[in-house]
Amino acid sequence: MKIIELQKKIGTFHLNVNELSIEEKKINGVIGSNGSGKSTLVKLIAGLLKPDNGSIDYGVFNMRDITITAQRPYMLHDSVLNNLTYPLKIRNQKVSNEVISEWLNKCGLLGKEQQFAPSLSSGERQKLSFARALIFKPKVVIIDETMANLDPDSLAIFERTILDIQKTDPITWIIVSHQPGQIFNLCDCIHFMENGGVLCSGSPHDILLNKKNPTIAKYMSSYMIKNE
Amino acid sequence: MESLQNIGIQINKEVIDIIVLTLKLAFCSTFLSCLIGIPFGIFLERTQFFGKGFILRVNRTLMGLPPVVAGLFVYLILMRRGIFGRWNLLFTFQAMVIAQTIIITPIMSGMFYTTALNMAPQIKNFAKSMGANRWQILLLLLKEMKNDIYFIIFTGFGRSISEVGAVMIVGGNIQYKTRTMTTAISLMRNKGDYGEAITLGIVLLAIAFFIQWIVDFLRRYENIHENY
Repeated sequence: MKIIELQKKIGTFHLNVNELSIEEKKINGVIGSNGSGKSTLVKLIAGLLKPDNGSIDYGVFNMRDITITAQRPYMLHDSVLNNLTYPLKIRNQKVSNEVISEWLNKCGLLGKEQQFAPSLSSGERQKLSFARALIFKPKVVIIDETMANLDPDSLAIFERTILDIQKTDPITWIIVSHQPGQIFNLCDCIHFMENGGVLCSGSPHDILLNKKNPTIAKYMSSYMIKNE
Repeated sequence: MESLQNIGIQINKEVIDIIVLTLKLAFCSTFLSCLIGIPFGIFLERTQFFGKGFILRVNRTLMGLPPVVAGLFVYLILMRRGIFGRWNLLFTFQAMVIAQTIIITPIMSGMFYTTALNMAPQIKNFAKSMGANRWQILLLLLKEMKNDIYFIIFTGFGRSISEVGAVMIVGGNIQYKTRTMTTAISLMRNKGDYGEAITLGIVLLAIAFFIQWIVDFLRRYENIHENY
């Protein structure tokens, strides 16, 4: 997937990404400070926003292969089960009850199938939206800070799920996160954003040890200090 | 029956006929307004075109249309020398339905448009992220807005049942033919027949209370269970 000369203006914010390659069947991470344009970029990739200029070459993917989960996911005014199976219903796709139970179990929602989904806590909503995004086996999954409210155990389960999927049937991931630790553990490639542009792309090692760019060096040093 | 008469309430065949006719009129005009107003509201929400702002302003103006003006308009087009005068509809049930439909339709389309404007972006983004097509997005929007749509319908019904000016002008308040609860109350007050006027007033209030109770009932479940 290739992004060329992508521009989007929202209020006073201006996103301007000259060139960006998303590696297929890899876990791509997007990091950067607040307001750097991470969410705008992934919304443009997911087709939720229309670019003012530029283009996204989706390559072999079509829009139905791409899904995005948000930090505050939308819950249908329906049961947990109907929320989970919504993407299957619109595709006339059928999965076994075992698969549904397995996802509900991962979300910690087994036994809550008939609960009204908007009554779930924010963490439970995030877990359900994660499962809902994966149940129909998309080819590109964008996670826009969806794992921000998860407890450590749930976070570990979902990180394990991502890695398991990559081992058995790899797909393309774009993970936006404010937790560099998570990004460095999971991602094969990281894009660092600042002021609406992509400052640097590379492996976690390249980004972590980047001393040339003061912005990246500062971001990383604050992360290192925090983890010392 | 006698005890009811003692407190001023009179129930006779004419009163029952008036109640039945009023309900029939409210059902017909609300149904027609739904058929026109809600699709028009959907059209306004889903499309962008030159002059949309002007149409919205006209619609908002018509939401506050004085019923006597709507009645006068329908009277003028249905009168013998009016453009639809040859259909002989003036002082008929159909004329009252037309006048009430003209009053309620902008209320329904305007309310639907305003509600959809607040809810649609979230629902649309969710549906798109799940890979829904245009029709599936529309269906989901209507499903998620169902309680708001009920509210809009009951508001229209309430407006219809309590309306007096337009039905008086185009219906003519003809006994057993076009006499509704509101026009009958007005006439009976003039005649000094307070018993029937009070009876109809109480029935009107009871219907309004019942409508409000249904609306509250529909909204209560989600209000109680939503985890904001």
